[in-house]
Amino acid sequence: MTAVNGFYAGIDVGSLTAKSVIIDHSGIVAAKIIRTGAVPQKAGEAVFQKVLDRAHCRREEIRRIVATGYGRISLPFADKALTEISCHAKGVRFLNPDVASLIDIGGQDSKAITLNKDGSVADFIMNDRCAAGTGRFLEIMAGALEVNIDDFSRLSVRTGEPCQINSTCIVFAESEVISLLAAGNSRSDIAAGLHQSIARRVGTMARRLKPFKNTAFVGGVAKNQGLCRALENVLGAGFMPIDADVQITGALGAAIFAKEQVLQEQKNECHDVGTYKND
Amino acid sequence: MNVMTLEHTRTIDEVKTSFALALEMAKDEGHKVVGCLCSYFPREVAWAAGAITVGLCGTTQGPIEAAEQVLPADQCPMVKATYGRAINNTCPIFPLADCIVGETTCDGRKKMYEVLGREKSMHVMDLPQKPENPAALRYWIDEVHRLKGFLEAQLDCRITHDALLAAIEQGNRERVLLKRIHQCRKSHPVPIMGLDLVALSTSMSYTIDRKHYLKELESVLEELRRRIAAKQFACSADRPRILWTGLGNSLGCDKVLRLVEQSGGVVVCQEGCGGVTRMDDQIDPGDDPIEAIARRYLKVTCASMSPNNTRFEQIDRLITEYKIQGVIDLAWQSCHAFNIESFRVREVVKEKHGLPYLHIVTDYSQSDVGQLKVRIEGFIEQIKFGLGR
Repeated sequence: MTAVNGFYAGIDVGSLTAKSVIIDHSGIVAAKIIRTGAVPQKAGEAVFQKVLDRAHCRREEIRRIVATGYGRISLPFADKALTEISCHAKGVRFLNPDVASLIDIGGQDSKAITLNKDGSVADFIMNDRCAAGTGRFLEIMAGALEVNIDDFSRLSVRTGEPCQINSTCIVFAESEVISLLAAGNSRSDIAAGLHQSIARRVGTMARRLKPFKNTAFVGGVAKNQGLCRALENVLGAGFMPIDADVQITGALGAAIFAKEQVLQEQKNECHDVGTYKND
Repeated sequence: MNVMTLEHTRTIDEVKTSFALALEMAKDEGHKVVGCLCSYFPREVAWAAGAITVGLCGTTQGPIEAAEQVLPADQCPMVKATYGRAINNTCPIFPLADCIVGETTCDGRKKMYEVLGREKSMHVMDLPQKPENPAALRYWIDEVHRLKGFLEAQLDCRITHDALLAAIEQGNRERVLLKRIHQCRKSHPVPIMGLDLVALSTSMSYTIDRKHYLKELESVLEELRRRIAAKQFACSADRPRILWTGLGNSLGCDKVLRLVEQSGGVVVCQEGCGGVTRMDDQIDPGDDPIEAIARRYLKVTCASMSPNNTRFEQIDRLITEYKIQGVIDLAWQSCHAFNIESFRVREVVKEKHGLPYLHIVTDYSQSDVGQLKVRIEGFIEQIKFGLGR
């Protein structure tokens, strides 16, 4: 079997969802997303089994597995762990070679990444230790408005006049929302205000990286159309199209790394570099 | 510490506790102790007074809760930990100091010193903050004279011209050796990991007998040079070579440094306090030792200075000298000066050198370790995957 033949898997265990993608020499074979739950290792195992089933593939046929996401080190069956920073960049670039930067908003963090011409990471920035501007923030706020997360997004685009939401702290924002409801504001206007508040926060963070253009929006939160529009307004440009589920780009990038590393190992040579004790 | 293996496994609290025992014995023999808090403190003046100098900065999370009973929670952890250690009796060294000396660097420190001064006889030197202004040096020379007067009164002694010259000689010899030790890390791969050198040099700096300290530095230097000659490196050549700038490179507050080396990087050079750049400035005693000492200490770089141009020149130079592949710039939370200056560090690193740059804002707690790991591992990957571009 030559290096490019065979199957490669990427598994992205995030704080809210676990994703897995299997690729072969020509592209994506199968992808699967499940909830992570309390045990990331189980979620990684489960999503991998499900994607194998979907691809009609046996585990022995997978030549290399790369794990990413917060649960990346809890998967003993993975060959290697890489951060979602590298993996999203790799996955997005594979899907659209014209992308020069990306925003990834997941369950517990948001990231802005710029790419070099060859697709490698040029720079990145992440939210500080705070849930503002994350999927978790949106879930809690949807809860405060007593709507499910999909309706929350839809509500936000039906606004007349978005409310001003100033709190970035999840706890303070929740009490701000309750005050706004008490003052008689519509859920639609509050939802829109919340979306704009996140968009401003993430957009400002992203624009610390220069230049920030030809941007793709990925991660679970990128499925939220309300936030998509709000972020496009803040950035002053539309997002680049991604021809796949925006939630799987991390897992896809991990699978591509798996394939590239198998190729790379065939090229490696050894030289005498002296002795060392820490590696 | 074992000079031959350069291994150091003690925590900062263990270092300080065993040092306090030795300090107590020295005090019984009649030695005086001056507590210091910053790189701007002209140690040579205290040595010329026959005193032992000891660092009192807090580098651990433990005492912060006690400090927050007085200081606001949204303060820099260094300010809180230093104060907390002094008031909650967890610092074994603080009670042994005859007096302490601070400097008006940042707002957090100088306002904290106002309350710290209630615990112990304290002198705060007024540090001019526009060092390029010609009047700054004149003012600072006066401040060093005032320090001399304070120490003479507190320690009941006379600081003589000859004693100042001897102290300058000692300081210069220490700086030469430390500089050579740091320079061993120009070797690729390095003979010692960044964390090991930080642990070793922090630990050695708690010394009573400064002549013995010189001997220790010489042994460390000899061992590092032997390793380089014998090709006994601390890590493989694959590890990205990191320049550390900003804060957080001393034993105790080394959380991020530890993560960097656990994630496959190696810190080969440190700019700023605890780093190689402090060792470049020697003192030429000339006719007036106090003036010479003042001249040297005003060259220290800190973000509390405006503008702090030397820092950027040094980062620029060190990137080339140490074959740097990425720069990490750490600022403590609520350290406005270093946080704002990171914008200019980024310009030097990214725009001038085109290298990966990571700005980290954190404190002494472990609460953000998961997030930090993603950033740091991502940064190491950015360097590795970007090689050969």
